[in-house]
Amino acid sequence: MLEIPAVSRRLLLGGALATGAVMAGAGAGAAHAAPADPAAALPVASPRRARGQKTMTGVPFAVHETVRVGLIGLGNRGSGMGEGWAAVPGCRVTAVCDTRANRAKNLADRLAARGEPRPAEYGGSDDAYAQMLRRDDIDLVYIATPWEFHHRQGKDALLAGKHVIVELPVATELDELWDLVDTSERTRRHLLLAENCSYGRNELAMLKMAHDGLFGDVTNGHGGYLHDLRSLLFSDTYYTDAWRRLWHTRSTASFYAMHGLAPVAAAMDINRGDRMTALRATATAPKGLADYRERFVDRSHPSWKETYINGDLVTCLIDTAKGRVIRAEHDVSSPRPYSRINSLAGSRGIFEDYAGTSSTGGRIYVEPDHGGHSWRDFDAYRKEFDHWLWKKIGDDAANNGGHGGMDYVLQWRTVQLMRAGLVPDIDVYDSATWCAPIPLSVMSLAAGGRPVEVPDFTRGSWVNLRTGLDSRESSMPPVA
Amino acid sequence: MGTARWIRPLGAVAVAAAMTLVPAPAATAAGPPPGSAAARTEVSISSVDLDGPAVSTVEVTVKNTGPQRMRSLKVAFSGPAGWAVQPALVDVPGTFAAGAAATAEFRIQVPEKRRGFTLRTFTATATYAGGDGGGSASGTRTQASGTPLANLAAAYNNVGITDESDTGPGDYDGEGNSFSAQRLAAAGLTPGGRVRALGAELTWPDVAPGTKDNVSGAGQAIALSGKGGALVLLGSGVTGGATGTVTVYYTDGTSTSGSFGFPNWSFDPADAHGATLVASSDGRNRQDGYGNQGIAYRVFAHSVALDAAKQVEFVVLPANGNVHVFDMAIAP
Repeated sequence: MLEIPAVSRRLLLGGALATGAVMAGAGAGAAHAAPADPAAALPVASPRRARGQKTMTGVPFAVHETVRVGLIGLGNRGSGMGEGWAAVPGCRVTAVCDTRANRAKNLADRLAARGEPRPAEYGGSDDAYAQMLRRDDIDLVYIATPWEFHHRQGKDALLAGKHVIVELPVATELDELWDLVDTSERTRRHLLLAENCSYGRNELAMLKMAHDGLFGDVTNGHGGYLHDLRSLLFSDTYYTDAWRRLWHTRSTASFYAMHGLAPVAAAMDINRGDRMTALRATATAPKGLADYRERFVDRSHPSWKETYINGDLVTCLIDTAKGRVIRAEHDVSSPRPYSRINSLAGSRGIFEDYAGTSSTGGRIYVEPDHGGHSWRDFDAYRKEFDHWLWKKIGDDAANNGGHGGMDYVLQWRTVQLMRAGLVPDIDVYDSATWCAPIPLSVMSLAAGGRPVEVPDFTRGSWVNLRTGLDSRESSMPPVA
Repeated sequence: MGTARWIRPLGAVAVAAAMTLVPAPAATAAGPPPGSAAARTEVSISSVDLDGPAVSTVEVTVKNTGPQRMRSLKVAFSGPAGWAVQPALVDVPGTFAAGAAATAEFRIQVPEKRRGFTLRTFTATATYAGGDGGGSASGTRTQASGTPLANLAAAYNNVGITDESDTGPGDYDGEGNSFSAQRLAAAGLTPGGRVRALGAELTWPDVAPGTKDNVSGAGQAIALSGKGGALVLLGSGVTGGATGTVTVYYTDGTSTSGSFGFPNWSFDPADAHGATLVASSDGRNRQDGYGNQGIAYRVFAHSVALDAAKQVEFVVLPANGNVHVFDMAIAP
């Protein structure tokens, strides 16, 4: 078993990430007794919904003629997305915030130079964002700070009456995830994960093909985040105060598998007819970062005081109520080409992304279209099952957004949903479920790889079929 | 062979519906009472809104046509493979007198409509005690959208014949091999030539070697007009298990279906699956040129029965890519 030492970071005290302990008490609910069967999933408690508190499933946004966005966190990710928000028709960035005030000013300058109204600037302290949240001209708060701040800032934004979209993850502890679910339900405001890859062109086509039945009954999926971040993790400028590298000193966890996990979960209608029930994790030894440092990082660098404990490859096997299996992987510390895997298979075929020679990057094999045990290019299927969002705004996305246009599609769709008063494609339950493997992987690894229950954040409504990312085409309301 | 009733398209929306009552084997020890053989429990499915992506509501009605009260009724419903249904099973409370009906409601996830012609089949199964004593009964409903392809040539999706001087385009078997046009001609199969088999007059594909000339089965719907006793298909199989179901739809909205299969173009017995050998060609074209001389590569005929009194409107080929069809025609 990997050693998971206690850490000193304030946000981690008492959580699964800090102790590696199986956490049976998540919030106010009563903890279950540990099961006698050693193969049974370790239980986690689910807090009961408070009296008068109602679900947010199926709840549409109120109509917003203009969506006014406030940004918290203006590092590499946040500042880039700031210009993307401003480019969406009917969206205006009204306030920007970062602990480093110059970042707020720089983004405000750039937006003003584009002819946009100059946003108000906040910064200079850790709680500057709280001042920004007091403004009454913010409808949506976008958070792109280091992970350890997401829960608190997201919750505070909800309590301030704003809708919230948070970069991955929305939180890292089970009690924090439940807290966001409950706060969203109490405030009647949406909080959603800024899961841009769920709007990827291949991912959405994969989803539509699954719904059409091309794969037959879907039995398994495989996704993850396999990205060699070593040079960026040791950069002195890319991640402010090396925040992301420090997570690798704290715990062994699947920190960031959501980019590959979420599209597979969507294709399986997780929380929309199926749900994740149990998770078991494995982790390889932590070799990658130390090896990289040994070869490429000067001995005077502060990283030499650090000990990396997160396994290079953390794999989660997740069971669902309908008997499906999801394999979610996370590896950012090994030399390898980029992949989110994106594979889905069923009784009649399989799709794999990041493989083959197709211009789409995908390959496919489905009966009865194919035979002879040989892969086919994904191109024709991607074209046939192309999501309406890409047909409608694909060109704009290519011109305005990063990550192949996925960022802009996410932003455009979020603004459209708010302006048209529609139900969000991704809700707080999806967001919590997709992020739950972070603490659950810690718990499973601490228990020698034993399965751990996955909480039902929907509190039973997962059985109800409902649409999500596979949406019906609709228009962006005209800008007055 | 099953029989179904296909309801004609309504208005401008090309949606057809059909419902069959397929009595299932008795699930209880008690058989139907004497004299009640025709009184079978009716299971019907309401029209399904196929305008997706959406979640549609479907009602399944079970009518007790038996002489006894029906009790312990459970209704299951399913759509095409991969379409989610909620719930999978409805336990209907109460009992139902002879002639009474009970309804169970389901929700089904409907995808966006595909281009071209599609048939979607929904199935409901009721299990019960009492009623007609049968113990269970099923109903299916098939809905269509779009228009069938105009003819078989419009569905050509595979290059099965190449010239020995240019074998590269061929891929009859998924491994780059194809019939030799020269050797087929020696066996009597030439472009546009007549082929008589199982009483039908068929036509060998009238296309140049190296171009798409046959249909690898994928459930394609092909328009075909005429009356007769059998539908004859000309082709052969690749790899193994080149079998499937052909469904023939008539202009009156009914349909018949039948199973058939072709032997592998080379290695199966010539009468496998009940097929009839039509022609054998010597050797085949490989990616590196003509080869495998001395080995026969063959074309077969097979048929499924038709209702001779009815006018055929279109045919749905098997959803099995190992089945390759060069032509089909109606035999008297």
